[in-house]
Amino acid sequence: MTTPKLVEHFFRHEYGRLVAMLSRRVGVQHLEAVEDAVQSALMKALEAWTMSGLPDNPSAWVFRVAHNDLMGELRQRTNRGRILEQYAHEAIDTPEYGAECLMAGEVRDDLLRMLFVCCDKAIPVESQLVFALKTLCGFGIREIALRLFTSEANVYKRLGRARSRLRKHPPRLGELTGEQHSSRLPAVNKILYVLFTEGYLSSHAEMAIRRELCDEAIRLAAILAEHPLGQVPETQALLALMHLHVARMTARQDASGGLLLLEEQDRTLWDRQRIQVGLEWLARSAQGDGFSRYHAEAGIAAEHCLAPSLQETRWERVVDCYALLERVAPSPIHKLNRAVAVAEWQGPAAGLAVLEGFEPPTWLAGSYLWAAVLADLHRRCGNGHRAKRYQDAALKSAPTQAQQELLQRRLGGLARTQHDVSKTQVRKYHKGDLT
Amino acid sequence: MPKQNYLCIQRSQPKQPGKGQAPSPAQMEEMYAKFNAWKEKFQENIVDMGGKLGAGKIVTAEGATDGPFVEAKEVIGGYMIVSAESLEEAVEVARKSPGVWMPGSSVEVRVISTP
Repeated sequence: MTTPKLVEHFFRHEYGRLVAMLSRRVGVQHLEAVEDAVQSALMKALEAWTMSGLPDNPSAWVFRVAHNDLMGELRQRTNRGRILEQYAHEAIDTPEYGAECLMAGEVRDDLLRMLFVCCDKAIPVESQLVFALKTLCGFGIREIALRLFTSEANVYKRLGRARSRLRKHPPRLGELTGEQHSSRLPAVNKILYVLFTEGYLSSHAEMAIRRELCDEAIRLAAILAEHPLGQVPETQALLALMHLHVARMTARQDASGGLLLLEEQDRTLWDRQRIQVGLEWLARSAQGDGFSRYHAEAGIAAEHCLAPSLQETRWERVVDCYALLERVAPSPIHKLNRAVAVAEWQGPAAGLAVLEGFEPPTWLAGSYLWAAVLADLHRRCGNGHRAKRYQDAALKSAPTQAQQELLQRRLGGLARTQHDVSKTQVRKYHKGDLT
Repeated sequence: MPKQNYLCIQRSQPKQPGKGQAPSPAQMEEMYAKFNAWKEKFQENIVDMGGKLGAGKIVTAEGATDGPFVEAKEVIGGYMIVSAESLEEAVEVARKSPGVWMPGSSVEVRVISTP
């Protein structure tokens, strides 16, 4: 007897699919009832399937159970008449999970609709993020708290904000076409970007849980990019950027979970196939005259992926991309990154010249990133005294031990030239200007 | 030694409303995987996966009454039948089963004597 396997993350992804499908049928204002019904259907599935094996169509099974549960619950509510009337043709007549609602296209549309629903300008971005993780990715409260390095109470609070907004002002988003959706597209791209960077740039040592956030961002971005609505250069560049970063993810840590400098990384561990996918999306995104921050960032990531070694990196192109990034998304972090790339290209003195006369905002001046980059550039210019001062400051303010060790290797002069202090570390702050 | 059948009775503490979070979908995935791994490991021993036990009545000479389920500190959640060469082996199957992992859960193992 071999047990038939469910697809990976069946329960989590089915949660997202069912919540999206059922909320479209009964309206987002009934989201809590929908989530309860889905939760309980999955529990029933767990019990039934462990006892008597999988049904022929697990998705249809949970859909039917959740659907019936939800209808029963809504019928009991006082406004039953209105709901049933309003949705009678759809909700009540589909007790069977017929072929028509199993169509991948419709499920995909429901998921996307939910994604657009949560990107409501009136909901703060951090609440949108939590809401998406809960309803679309099927993470529990504790799991979200763990992944965003925050408390469960905080997750509840953020979730509550999103829910109450949607309850009071349920969006009237119909078919996935038209102005309504297009106008929300930048917000949707942004939430996917935030979701990805939470995973990719976090300094948390636990690789697996970070990777999950990246995988979820890619899953949703891919669904969006395949849909006519998402066939725009920004979304394609965003997806390219994600693939190009994730391709190098495994190589960023050593066996014990310590962070590795770019030049220490084993480039043979980079996922060539994924790099190829990323480059294809990047090529597709190069149309029209819109140039977004996603294009610039994907361009930088592509240069690193294409370089056979650190020395052979086309730094002039990296510098160009950072300059473009500064223009479309001005941030002192991008300037700092450009200085590092310029130093690789034209030498440390040229790198320092980029920062000449630049007054960093206090949040940056006090961070280990600023200190680490300056320590590095001054050391390489032979300014021993200033290098030492910045080095001490950097080591003192490094937030995790993994980063402290990385800095020690970098600034201790064990590694000769290194770009990665900025690549993996400085970029952490990208999310700072988003959230 | 010939194999004998054992009845495994799963007990757990009644759910207290509002206590603890319901398992998340990710936890369900984990439970499902663990349960199947256990089932595969002991497939030789499992005679009958049994099932969950719901409401019932107690029948006596005086008639049928609702069982003492309400006051009980523990409720019988389910049963299954395993075959094993010894009580120890049967206990091992039960001990590894996901049914005992929940806090406050236990499994009682009794040999089914047949003449």
